[in-house]
Amino acid sequence: MSTTYKIRKRYRHKVWWRYPIAAAALIFATMPLVWVIGAAFGPAGLTTQSVIPRTFALDNFRALFSDENVPFVTWYKNSLIICSSAAIMQVAIATFAAYAFSRFRFKGRRISLVGLLVLQMFPQLLSLVAIYLLMYRVSLIFPAIGTGSALGLILVYLGGAMGYNTYLLKGFFDSIPKEIDEAAKVDGATAGQTFRQIILPLAVPMLAVVMLLSFIGLLNDFILASLFLQTKEDYTLALGLQAFVSGQYEQQWGPFAAGALLTAIPVIVLFQFLQRYIVEGLSAGSVKG
Amino acid sequence: MKLRGIVFKILALSLINGTSLWASLTLFSLGNYGPIVILLLTTLALDYIYLSKRTKASKWLIPGTILLIIFQIYPVLYTAVTAFTNYSTGHSVTRDEAIKGLIEQNTNQIEGGAQYQFKVIEEGSRRALLLTNTSDGTFAIGDEKSLAPIDSGEIPLGWKEISQENLRESDYQGWLTNLRIPIKDSRIIKVETFETAAEYKYVLRYDSGREVMVDIDSGEVLKEQDGAFYYIDGTEMEPGWRIWVGFQNFTDVVTNERIRGPFFRVLIWTFAYAILSVLTTFILGLLLATTLNTPRIRGQRVLRSILIIPYAIPGFLSILIWAGLLNDDFGMLNRALGTSIPWLFDAEWAKVSTLLVNLWLGFPYMFLITTGALQSIPSELAEAAEVDGATPRQAFTKIKLPLLLVTIAPLLIGSFAYNFNNFGGIYLLTGGGPAMNDSDTAGATDILISYTYKLAFASGQGAQYGLATAVSIIIFFIVASVSALSFRRTRALENLN
Repeated sequence: MSTTYKIRKRYRHKVWWRYPIAAAALIFATMPLVWVIGAAFGPAGLTTQSVIPRTFALDNFRALFSDENVPFVTWYKNSLIICSSAAIMQVAIATFAAYAFSRFRFKGRRISLVGLLVLQMFPQLLSLVAIYLLMYRVSLIFPAIGTGSALGLILVYLGGAMGYNTYLLKGFFDSIPKEIDEAAKVDGATAGQTFRQIILPLAVPMLAVVMLLSFIGLLNDFILASLFLQTKEDYTLALGLQAFVSGQYEQQWGPFAAGALLTAIPVIVLFQFLQRYIVEGLSAGSVKG
Repeated sequence: MKLRGIVFKILALSLINGTSLWASLTLFSLGNYGPIVILLLTTLALDYIYLSKRTKASKWLIPGTILLIIFQIYPVLYTAVTAFTNYSTGHSVTRDEAIKGLIEQNTNQIEGGAQYQFKVIEEGSRRALLLTNTSDGTFAIGDEKSLAPIDSGEIPLGWKEISQENLRESDYQGWLTNLRIPIKDSRIIKVETFETAAEYKYVLRYDSGREVMVDIDSGEVLKEQDGAFYYIDGTEMEPGWRIWVGFQNFTDVVTNERIRGPFFRVLIWTFAYAILSVLTTFILGLLLATTLNTPRIRGQRVLRSILIIPYAIPGFLSILIWAGLLNDDFGMLNRALGTSIPWLFDAEWAKVSTLLVNLWLGFPYMFLITTGALQSIPSELAEAAEVDGATPRQAFTKIKLPLLLVTIAPLLIGSFAYNFNNFGGIYLLTGGGPAMNDSDTAGATDILISYTYKLAFASGQGAQYGLATAVSIIIFFIVASVSALSFRRTRALENLN
């Protein structure tokens, strides 16, 4: 009796100090964003921005869209096209492979799974120079898929498809009872039909999350994109916005902030929607294992 | 359904076979035979796998596997090979290509030699110059192979003249610049402008019997060393070529004074950056997780949604935003604090900035995973400890924290490996700068991966592919061995419990 009472009493005065910490964390997490919003809707120019935003003007958005040297819309479009097509194909490839690893027993299966894992120790980032030299040589013969081409960049992105995602999806497929497949097989379904009509519908939410994470990952890529996309019109948002602000924050801060908001908001909204799934995916490796 | 599948399969395979055939022909016309073999074998394998009834798993695995081999496995092997060569600007071609280049690029105008005016003429894919000797008024037609005198300056039947405007196209320009019309011995005609050419002679001659380069005028045999030709007075002839240098790129990192200093500075900072990034984000994430992980806090869901906003913003964007906020003259941070700290332009402050920005980017992740792990620890454990008389502090440090560490240790190691190669976190914020005195490549905040990138693509001394790939391999071994070691340690930790 007395112990429970003691614990409860202890908790009561334990709660208050949590609020200041939470408040400080909130300020730390949101202040940069508040400043960016302030800068985006503030008057043009960095020098006049106040610590707490007070104005509301659309000058910076107008400046961003009217500046001919800054094809922001083109960058946005390029990023959407390159990243979404690469993300869709990456997930498709990973899904096919995961299905094979989960449902077929074939020679070399274990070795391939281990090999894939080992290969992840050498990320594409480390073979950057080799990828560049390879694709530069390709560009001399087939300009459409070498350096300087978005298609080449997408191909390189696809090279990294059979990695972590394959493992993630294999784990998911393993959790779908095999009896379902076998029942379909008895009814005369081929492997392709079983996959399309039974496994795929079950996996849609999972695939959506994996695709979103791949998309964001690709959106973030600066290093590979910088080797492939060499003219301003071909840039993705990462390359474009970096080139846009580097060196001239004073003049460009307002329009940059406007562009940053337009880029970040759709992703933040998507993220909040899928928060539950993403958090589950994040901790799946550690907590369940 | 079935029929549609077969039609689709046939169409897709035809497309692949057609493309591969076309590519093979293109490669064949360029004399590039190696890739043709690989291309055709791959296509045949694809055909077999998708047409045979005996292959099952391969049908599903092959698209990803081909891409994996081309863009991941091959680059890894090529990286390993390049690290043992001197591949760099000035040493980027083979020996034969370098010899050809050296001979063709080193020419001297012959004093009192003939001057020409020319028109470019074309017949089908053949190109030639219709030359008019301005000193004696004779005519000739010349191309890569020969110079043949003709009687009149009329354009020969079947040929047509290329207009001056079209000559400005890069295709013709490139051809004109490289055109050497042989006259006799080492004498040639070389184009000077879009209308004029003159008589030149080669400086160098390759003696293929003795395999040496010879200066034609003096007869001096050039010295061959480290993939380049040298005159006896030490003049190096550019370009050189790629040669095997063994472990030199790796030993240079330790012994070459120009590289050693910057390399070890970068190496130490890379470790510091990765370790401090993991520590700071983990500590803040853990603090927030323990603070908020209690039903007694109100608005927990909202709090959580707001706290993970930094994680939801694409990383490159956050970093660019921070670069603006940290601007020393106009940045909001200095203004809000009322300071004028050179956040990005002082070597030490720039390091603080990279860690600060990474803390902002990374703490929500740590917050999420530690919250998840804390929730998975049965509350009975801590309660039992308290019943046994442990203080809450003891219950936390002795019970919860060890359990938490066991579950998230692999993720912490993953985070270390990620930050060890966190190119964006450095390059987009500081560009690796500010510059340091000891190196024209490695700046104060450069980590190994950004140093590699700069060595290969943005160095003051041209591209140093050989050294860059060697550093890549060093990075690989560091990350791999740290991961392997810590995984063994954590497994030991798990067994203890």
